[in-house]
Amino acid sequence: MANTKTDEKLQKIAKDLLESGEVNLIIGYTKGSNPQRMRPVFITKPEEAEKLSFSHNAVQDLAVFLKKQEVKKFGKIGITVKGCDEKAVNALIQEYQLSRDNIKIIGMQCNGVIKQNLADKGETKVSETTVYDKCLICQEHTPVLYDFLVETEEPELSLSGNVKPYAEIEKLDALSTEEKNAYWAKEFDKCIKCYACRQACPLCFCSRCIVEKNMPQWIDTNSEEPGNAQWNLIRAYHLSGRCIGCGECERACPVNIPLMLINEKMARDVYNLFGYKSGLDINAKPVFGVFSESDFNDFIK
Amino acid sequence: MEDMKVEKNEQKDGTAAANTGSQSDPRLIAFVCNWCTYNGADLAGTSRMKYSDNVRVIKLPCTGRIDPLFIVEAFKKGAKGVLVSGCHPGDCHYTSGNYHSRRKYATFRDLLGYLGVDLNRVEFSWISASEGNKWVAVINEFTDKIKSLPDKTTDIFTKK
Repeated sequence: MANTKTDEKLQKIAKDLLESGEVNLIIGYTKGSNPQRMRPVFITKPEEAEKLSFSHNAVQDLAVFLKKQEVKKFGKIGITVKGCDEKAVNALIQEYQLSRDNIKIIGMQCNGVIKQNLADKGETKVSETTVYDKCLICQEHTPVLYDFLVETEEPELSLSGNVKPYAEIEKLDALSTEEKNAYWAKEFDKCIKCYACRQACPLCFCSRCIVEKNMPQWIDTNSEEPGNAQWNLIRAYHLSGRCIGCGECERACPVNIPLMLINEKMARDVYNLFGYKSGLDINAKPVFGVFSESDFNDFIK
Repeated sequence: MEDMKVEKNEQKDGTAAANTGSQSDPRLIAFVCNWCTYNGADLAGTSRMKYSDNVRVIKLPCTGRIDPLFIVEAFKKGAKGVLVSGCHPGDCHYTSGNYHSRRKYATFRDLLGYLGVDLNRVEFSWISASEGNKWVAVINEFTDKIKSLPDKTTDIFTKK
């Protein structure tokens, strides 16, 4: 298959970066063995840059690799990111997990990525019924921060308004406490505590996660209640105000717990309460690292 | 080491676990800060004021030290209600602990409600060292509220 213009530009940027020694490693996408899937690739030699590619099948958030020691040891890194993934890079910089000087961001303009289950069935058209919910609410089709930008050739995503992203959130909000409880009890009951949600998350970077702390053991490790609810609740809490909505946790979940319904709800609540959206500004302080004297106080007696 | 083992076994089999009470006599846990609310409760005691004995007070240095995980843990162990109380805004012994915790709890409370925990079972208050009266009122009111809730405690923390 011939390279598209996007790919050519991407490969040239990567090649130049590696040749000039500005970066030691480029994390990007390459075509998978299945044409409908793209997989991550790690490029260290300029001549390998031609492996790089990008399309509407590049679903994975590559920022997740930035937290790995194996990647950190390369020092200066270049990364290929979509608008949503770029927010994760920003959040990592905000939380001092990453230095802006050590990273070259190759921003990919993106008009939505096709749901993997549909792509596997042969779907190749980006439309509001085939992309992820996160693409429908996406405000960052062009990444907010980048060193190089690769424009997209895809047509703009047209929204008719008929498909409501994260519609379940409003439905759940309207339910009574018992009904909500029944809904989540059923969902959390499925959890097998594989922690794939944590592993796939670019912002879950603690070297020792709370579930691995056993003096005291805060969260039961067996995969049954109440430990399941506790794990899912604490995971969501640790990400509220930080989650950038890439949806990788939900995609990684082997038992299909709708984790994005929780993450998105918390992102909305934090925005309503404190007017803060995660990952938009590398100079902003994380929302729970600061406070205001006029914060919401109505729930406190 | 031997002692620790014994203690652990007792907890596991449940016989030595804390009595979490019934609906008519519910157990409430109050996480309070060392500098304001604890002294407020102390004042209530030394002033011989009576308040509901359903509450068990756990003293911590500051509301900023009260991790939402503690609230979850209390519910998991069977508490019927959890109160978090600290210094009024501006009065924190550590300058800003209560401001930070206010942000955390505003969010955490939303999350609890969204996941189906009855928000009547969690309460937050600011009680200063001189407000023994307020402590009595808050505890009594909270106990009455918990007692008035329907007698089923199913939530996502219920053991199946």
